[in-house]
Formats: sequence, C-alpha cells, structure tokens
Amino acid sequence: MRQWFSDLALGVRLALGGGRTSWVRLALTGAGIGLGVAVLLTSASVTTVLSERAERQAANAPVTGEQTSGDVLYLTSWFTDYRGESISGRFVKGTGPDAPVPPGLSRVPGDGEMFVSPALARLMESPEGALLLERFPQQVIGTIDEVGLNTPHDLVFYAGDATVPEDANAISRFGGQLHENTLDPVLSLLVMVGVVALLFPVLVFVGISTRLAGAERDRRLAALRLVGAGSQRVRRIAAGEALLGAFVGLAVGAVLFLVGRQFVEDIQVAGLSAFKSDLIPSLPFAVMIAVLVPVMAVVTSVIAMRRTVIEPLGVVRRAKPVRRVLWWRLVPLVIGVGVLITQANAFGGTESQGSPTIVIGGIVMLLLAIPVLLPWVVERAVGRMRGGAPSWQLAIRRLQLESGTAARVVGGVAVVLAGGIALQSVMASAQSEVMDSPAPEVDRGRLTIHLSDSTPEMVEQTANLVARTVGVNQVHSLRSVGMEAGAGNYHPATVGTCEALMTQAVLPSCQDGDSFYVDAGSSLGYGTQLEAGQRVTVSDSDEDRQNDPQWTIPPFTVVKGPGESINFRSGLLLTPAVARAMPVEPGNPSLLVLIDQNEPDVGDHVRNAVAPMTWRVFVSYFGEADVTQRVAQFQSIRQGLLAGSLITLLLAGASLLVLALEQVRERRRPLAVLAASGVPRGALGRSLLWQNAVPFLLALVVAVGVGSALAALLLRIMSQPIVLDWPGIAVLSGAAAFMVAVVTVLSLPSLRRATGALGLRSE
Amino acid sequence: MTDPATPYDPGSAQGPGSAQALLEAVDLHKSFGPTPALDGAGLRVRAGEVVAVMGPSGSGKSTLLHCLAGILTPDKGTVRYRDVELSAMGDGLRSELRRTDFGFVFQFGQLVPELSCLENVALPLRLGSVKRKEAESRAREWLERLEVADVADKRPGETSGGQGQRVAVARALVTGPRVVFADEPTGALDSLNGERVMQLLVNAAKETNAAVVLVTHEPRVAAYSDREVVVRDGKSREMEPVT
Amino acid sequence: MSIGHTLLGLLEKGPRHGYDLKRAYDERFGQDRPLHYGQVYTTLSRLLRNGLVMEAGVEAGDGPERKRYAITDAGVTDVEHWLGTPEKPEPYLQNTLYAKVVLSLLSGRRADDVLDVQRAAHLAAMRELTKRKAAGDLADQLICDHALFHLEADLRWLELTAARLDRLKTAVTR
Repeated sequence: MRQWFSDLALGVRLALGGGRTSWVRLALTGAGIGLGVAVLLTSASVTTVLSERAERQAANAPVTGEQTSGDVLYLTSWFTDYRGESISGRFVKGTGPDAPVPPGLSRVPGDGEMFVSPALARLMESPEGALLLERFPQQVIGTIDEVGLNTPHDLVFYAGDATVPEDANAISRFGGQLHENTLDPVLSLLVMVGVVALLFPVLVFVGISTRLAGAERDRRLAALRLVGAGSQRVRRIAAGEALLGAFVGLAVGAVLFLVGRQFVEDIQVAGLSAFKSDLIPSLPFAVMIAVLVPVMAVVTSVIAMRRTVIEPLGVVRRAKPVRRVLWWRLVPLVIGVGVLITQANAFGGTESQGSPTIVIGGIVMLLLAIPVLLPWVVERAVGRMRGGAPSWQLAIRRLQLESGTAARVVGGVAVVLAGGIALQSVMASAQSEVMDSPAPEVDRGRLTIHLSDSTPEMVEQTANLVARTVGVNQVHSLRSVGMEAGAGNYHPATVGTCEALMTQAVLPSCQDGDSFYVDAGSSLGYGTQLEAGQRVTVSDSDEDRQNDPQWTIPPFTVVKGPGESINFRSGLLLTPAVARAMPVEPGNPSLLVLIDQNEPDVGDHVRNAVAPMTWRVFVSYFGEADVTQRVAQFQSIRQGLLAGSLITLLLAGASLLVLALEQVRERRRPLAVLAASGVPRGALGRSLLWQNAVPFLLALVVAVGVGSALAALLLRIMSQPIVLDWPGIAVLSGAAAFMVAVVTVLSLPSLRRATGALGLRSE
Repeated sequence: MTDPATPYDPGSAQGPGSAQALLEAVDLHKSFGPTPALDGAGLRVRAGEVVAVMGPSGSGKSTLLHCLAGILTPDKGTVRYRDVELSAMGDGLRSELRRTDFGFVFQFGQLVPELSCLENVALPLRLGSVKRKEAESRAREWLERLEVADVADKRPGETSGGQGQRVAVARALVTGPRVVFADEPTGALDSLNGERVMQLLVNAAKETNAAVVLVTHEPRVAAYSDREVVVRDGKSREMEPVT
Repeated sequence: MSIGHTLLGLLEKGPRHGYDLKRAYDERFGQDRPLHYGQVYTTLSRLLRNGLVMEAGVEAGDGPERKRYAITDAGVTDVEHWLGTPEKPEPYLQNTLYAKVVLSLLSGRRADDVLDVQRAAHLAAMRELTKRKAAGDLADQLICDHALFHLEADLRWLELTAARLDRLKTAVTR
C-alpha cells in the first residue's frame, strides 16, 4: 500500500516537476477539466434550484376555505405587461392586524402601499422604468424577500387595495402542499435527450483534457520504464499524474463555480435565472462528480498509455504506430442502435412504457461511438491523401504521423454537434406534437381590455380614460352573453354597436336592431347551428342559472369572420337594440381599442391610463392567448435546453482553444525549426488551419451521420414521422465550423510566439 | 513484486575474472517490419569486463543492446543472464532486473526532465523502495564521484551535455548494477567531455566490478573497452583481445 | 609495403610475365610511385629463390625476354598468412591495407576479415595508449592523443572501406 502511495506521489512529483512547462501544462489541464467541472456542478445544482423553487411556490400558495375566527386576507391576482415583460402582482386586503402575511413580506400592505420584487424595484428606478412608474401610484414600502420569489428576475408585487372584493376565498394562511409536475412522455424524452446531449460532451471534454501533452508524458514514462519501473507501477505513476490534473481541475472547477455563483443573480440565460442561495449542487451529484472526474482521468490516461507500457523504448525507438482496428470501435454504435431500436414507440402515447435508463444508455452509447470511431476514420481518410501546397502537405503528413490528438480535439465538438442535431430534430417534432394548433396570430393594432367585477359606469369611465390616451384611434365597448340551446349546446353572443361589431366580422350593412351570425364552421365545436326563432336559455354567468331566463333568437344574417384568422368571435353578433330585449343584462364587459402602432409605447400608455381601475382591468393584444400547461412546460424545457446548448457550445469552444494551445506548445520546437528554415508564418498558420479543418470535416460527416441516426431512432421511440431538420443541421454545422475557425485564429498568437526566436531554445 | 522464487539472486555477484558468461546472447534474430535488424547475432559478457559493440550505423548494434537488456524481445534466439533466460521472465521481473542489476546510459533522453538531477539519480533506488533520505544521500555521493555535485538541484534541461551524461552515469551506477548498457554515451559530446565521461564510466564500473556493454561507432571511445564485438548486417563477430 | 606479397597476390589469378605484373601493380597500387622493372625482376627472383613462384615457360618473340611466372602452393600459403596478419598499427598504413583489401577481393577471399583483424590490432594499440594516457601527465596525454587520433583515422578509413566493400569488389574485379 505504501508502495502505491509512493508511486502516486512520484506521479504527482513528475507532473509538477518540469518548471514552467509543467506548470503551463498543469494549468491547461486544470482549465480544461475545471471548465467541465464548473458546468457539471451547475447542472448538478439545477435539481436544487427547481426543488427550492417548488418549495417556495408551495409556501406562497394561499390556503383558503379553512374555518377561522381570526383575521383573514383577501387576494386577487393580476398581471400586466411592460415593454414585452410580464409583471404579475397580487392585490391584497387584510381584515385586521392578524391577517396572514404573504411570504417574503414584512407585513400586509395597507391600501395604497406596495411591496415589489428587487428586479421590479430596479426597473422602476431605472430610466427605462419611468413609464412604468405612472402605472403604480402606490407607495413602495419595501421589497419582497427571496422566499416570496421564484427567480431573482421575477417582476412581481404585492399591493394593498381596499377595493379587493371580500369573496368566498378568504385566506387563512400561506403554504400549501408541493404538487408534483408530471411531464408527458414526449416531454420527458425531450428532457432526457437534452440532458444527455448537453452533459455528455462535457464529460468528453474532461476526458480529453486529461490527455493533454500525451507525447511528453509517454516520453517521461518510457524513461521510467527504462530504469526499471514495471508496467503496473508506471500505470500507477501515470495515474498519479492524471489524478493531480483531475484534482486541480476539480479545484479550478469548484472555484469557477463558486465565483460564477456570486454573479448568477445578474445573469439571465434564455430568460432563465436562479438565486445564488438555490445554486447548490445536490449532494449525490456533487459526490458523483468528485468521484467520476478523477476516475475518468485515471481510466483515460491508463488506456492512453497502452503502447508505452509495452514499449519502454518509446524514446529511443519509435515503433511503427499500430494501425487502428475497427471492430471494437463499432461496439458502442451497435449497442446504442440496438438498444434504441428495442424502445421503438415506447414513448409514443400518453403513457410511457419505455425505460428511461435504457433510452439514456442508448443515447450515451451512440454519442460515445463518435469519439471512439473518429480516430479510426481520421487515420484511414488522411492516410490516402497526397500532395498539395506545402501548408497542406505539412498538415496532412502531421496527421498521418499522429492523428490521435487531432481526432480527439474535434471528437468533442462532433459529440456536441451530433447531440445538437438529435436534440433539434426531436425538439422540432415535439413542438409540432405539443403545439397541436398553430400559435395564434397576435394583432398588435388592437388591444382588448377586460374588466372584471365592474359596473357600467366603470366601463364608461375606463373607456373615457383610454380614449384620451395618445395613439388610441377608437374605443369600442363589447359585452357578451352565453346561450344554451339544449343540453350542452352552448353559443356565445357578442353585444356592441354597429361600429364595434364591424371590427369583429365583415358586415354587409348594419343598423341598430340587426343581428348577425358568424359561422366559424363546426371545428370549434359549438354543436348545431342556431336558427331564428329558437328558444334558448340566456346567462351571463353560471350563478344566475336558477332563473333560466328564456329568449327567442331573432332573425339574423350569416356573415364571415375577418380573414383567415381564427381569433374572432363566432356566434351571434347583436346590436344594442336587440340586446335590450334580452331578459338579462349582458355582462363580461370589454373594450376593443384600436391603436396606432407607430406611436411608441402606445400599449403601455393605455395600460397606464387604465391603472386607476387596478385589479379590474386586464389589457392584452387582440389574439394573445394563454397557453396550456403542456405548452408552457415545453416552452420552459426549450428555454432550458437553449441555455444549456449555449453553455455547452461555449465550453466546447473553450476546451478546443485549450487543446489547440496545447498542441502548438507541444510542437513548439519543430514549428520553430520550420519557421527558422524559412517557412513563412502564413504557411504554418494555414497548415494549422488544415490540421484542424480536415479532421473537423471528417468529424462533421460522422456527427451528421450519428446525429441523424440518433434523431431517427428517437423519433421512432416517440412514434413520430422521421423528419430531419436539415436547415437546423446546417446551422449547427456552420456554427461548429465557425467555432473551429475562431479557435484556430485565437491560437495563431501562440504559434507566433512559438515560432519566434525563443522557440528554438531547447528548454 | 519480489518473488521469493526469483531465479536469480542480485546479492551474489560473480567473482572477477570468472570465465563464465554473466550475460550471453545466442543467435538473435529481430525484425522491425520487413527489415531484419538482427540476423543471428550473439554476444557473451563476462563479469566486470567492458565490451565495445562496434559497427556502422544501421548494423543492429542498438537492437543487440536492447535485446541483451531485455527491453526488446528477440524474434528468435536466447538471451541468458546468470543462466536464466530473459524471455522467460515476466515484465515485472524484467523491470526489477533493469532496476537492480542493469544500468543504462544513452546518448540523451534517459533522464526524466521533470525531476532534478539528484532526484533522477535517486529514482531507481526509490523505485526499489529505498527511503528518500537514504536514496538521495547515496545519489549525492555518486554525483560527487562523477564531479557533478553542483548540478544536484538543477533539472536535466538546465545542465550542459557533459554534466547531463555524468548524471546519467551516476544514475546507471547508483544501484550497484552488474551490467551497464551504454548506447553511444558520448555521441552528443565533444571529444574532451566525451573522454572524461568515458573515463568516469569505465573507472566506476571497474571499481564496482560492473560489466559494461558499450555501443559506439567511435574508435577512441571503443578504446576504453577490454575487447570489441563487431556487428555488421545484423551479424556479430566477437574479437578476442589482441595482446 | 611488401612488394613481394603484392606480386604474389596478383599472380594468384594466373601466370603472368614480369611486364604484365608491373602494369597490373602500377594500375592498382602505384598511383604516384610506379615500380621500376629492376624492382620487379629482383623481387621475382627472390620469390623464385624462396620457392613461392615458379617459371611457367617463356613466350617467344622479339624484344626483351618474356618469362612467365606462376604462384606455387607455398606462395599461396604465404599470401594467406600475410593477409591474415594485421599490420603493425602505425600511421600511414593505407597503402598496404588497401593492397590487402584489393588482393583479398581479387582472389575471392573475405576482405572484411582483413579489416576486422586490422581493427582488432588497432584497437589493441589504442587501448594501450588510452591506458597510458590515463596514468600519464598532460604531456603524455597530448602525445598519446596525437597517436590515438591518427590510429582513429585509420580505423575510420577501415570502417568506411568495410561499408563500401561491395562497390569496391565490382570495381576491382571488373
């Protein structure tokens, strides 16, 4: 055992020993692994972020309907938009000093007082928030603590308002039960693909980083073999070296993570953000990373030195490199394909019959096939190339001599690319599956203002407020009422002036007293068509159903809706004179505001104008619709995956750069000799580009192949038609190519340094 | 790793002047790809003698040395050290043999660039589980003996070629080996430095009764030997000393 | 350089008369110092006296006497012995060594044997000098080094020749 430790220690000593060179190498290794570790730690924190968030959400949930003798809190939720950002708030009214205080607040705000989230406070204080300030005449008496928020960028407020109705929903306390979010099979598969496609490349890069400066290390270990270190011991010594790199990487990663964590609240990636205090890696994952990275470092380095172990004369005699063998390199590919085929249609329906473990395993295998296959592909492809310009020849000959490093460098990018291609295709397919109806078209020329719990005077008053606002062309008041022609056969009716109705449908002519019927077709599912003279039950709200007021449908003209858009009101359109004959007053008042889109911030001006109505008004663009939970989940998953892709791409770029720098460093002397013997720098630079570009193109082919295969297999699992997203693949490939080019350009300064006069020095 | 049934015993050196071969290679054949490097070469080394292996470059000198040292395994033929066949030993045993009974001095590249000169010399001892203090004090003695005590704390890259080779000689001899394999040990040195290194190497080897297998193409270096073996086209010819 | 042994070596390929021998000798070995007729005839008569060559008839014709000589068995043995004995290692041996190499090649013997034997002799001398050098003072060292470098030059020439024996063989037996 002591022997073991002394061997490991010797490895550490070797990794540290070589003066500046060793330190640079260690720093590069640490940086390469550290970047990966930081990303892994961040992803390991996602579960904590989500669970903390869910807990806060549960703690924030009001509890109603409990018998209580004490003070209660009445609450009504509200939201508004400001320059495209959604602000949500709760208007509250406490019945006394002991009314329950919402989490994150120091007390229940009184009438005209409000608590705002820090982000909202910042927005309101900033010059950009000047317009918003008008909307909130309330006095800000404090900010909402973290416990009352989801994310640091939440724009939320609690405002005290004496007009909040004392309805049945008296809140006796806050803090409900956690309710679990269940994802449907397609979405859960999407998450699986995403997590694997994004995290696996990180592991690949960590693995590659542990193999930096392999040639140097082989030389060193061969020298050790010569003085009589057995192959087992050399493996242990190499393991010691690798472990040092891994631990330095872990430390660097931890520091990066901890430092980055300080700024996490200032960062928003694809609309996602998190609290610093939530960003804690979950313990099992953190332990896994701390164990996995060193183990992987040791395993890859031991695998990498197979040849050195056999050949203690690595220094003295360069045995002809062994030609790579194909068969075992195909194993992961075959296993991956086989495993995924067995899961076909498993995640198709609403219930998944498949095993997530098997699917994830299959994806990992397929992605693993890329770095395993690439060295063989590069070796075979490059082996056939001949001739060309000197820079090309230099690059090709170099690749022929030692294609392993180059293949590894681009291998990581290829994994990112293949994962991205699969993810993109699955996402596109999931999108078409989840968003079964096309996203509604939003008409930015019209605003709809809904008024709840309001009197006709209030509607009038609101209309006047709006009409005076700059940029508003017309304001029309509309009401609606529901009719039931037999059980379950509901039809809506909209009441408004001719002018107002003309915004809803194409009317041939209109006079007060006319009735129209907009035929939306049977697709909307309103049952049978109405007929004139038919008796229907009218109700403006469910509570009045006892009365069952009856009404006879007047004669009407059938008209068409405005254009192709489905966002028009179907059913009856009634002029005020007709509506007066109805047994109940039509309710659900809303205002249709036609605005001048060229007027800047007109929407926010209108929202400001109706601010006095506080919680009663909801302003939205015509056609804006709420999304279903499934769509909302899909959208947030897409956001998460986008954020993850950006981070993985950045990591890929950074790792590539580290590898490219290391390559130049390792070949400093031959490069300096070439430069000294008159090879122009430009040619050397181009040869460097070819050295990256040729393996990259091969990697691209492999990545597109494997990525498409993976996509096809996953689509089969989802029971979706196999459609590959070629434009998406082109964009991804282009981005990867761009990254390789950028990395090459960024490594040119180091090439210049290497080929300078100092490069020729032997130490 | 030490097997009690180890078929050789590093402790009992053969007396000087013994006519029996310490190391003997018979009819070695070795090819790298299609070209044969050794084609029936052989060699006998007696305890304490300095044998020069001469011949033009590409004749197979170095390959013969590597086979003798158990670094390469010949395709055909036998190498026996103290009547034990090297090819019959496992890698672990051969490694131990290199550590305890053999020493190596090459033209360059045998020192570990990351370690200081002192640590390099102490390395074989430490691989053999000698305590660090002990190993380094013995290493320092050898550095003094080879007149390079002043570079002890420098890394090999920071020393001159002559100093580096002396450090290499010190490392080759620090374990008290029975055979030192030297492959063009002065190849990268000027004649004055080269002669000094040879003097130190041969003297130290004689004092410790270590045999030296000296591969060189330089007659003046070969003149430090007791006898020479000529390798040509993979075949060797042993010349008995002319008196 | 032993003219007698050289002539014997040249005779190994077949009987010749004196004039032929002189021509063959000059062509191969006498670049700057051709033999005199007188030297040839005195040497031949000495060899004849010692039984190493014998007369193999007289060619008729005008001009000078054209006596043919052939090598005897004793002569062959003598050549072999000569070739197998290294020259005393001393500077400026190349003429003799060259002659020995060429004669070995001409007679189908192994020329590298000649070289190996010679190398052994040279190295033995060099070992002696190296030992003296190690024991001696600076003056000794410088004197020994002078001798060593000259001997080394011979040995280098030997190595070079050994590496080019094949080409030399085609050249001399053409």
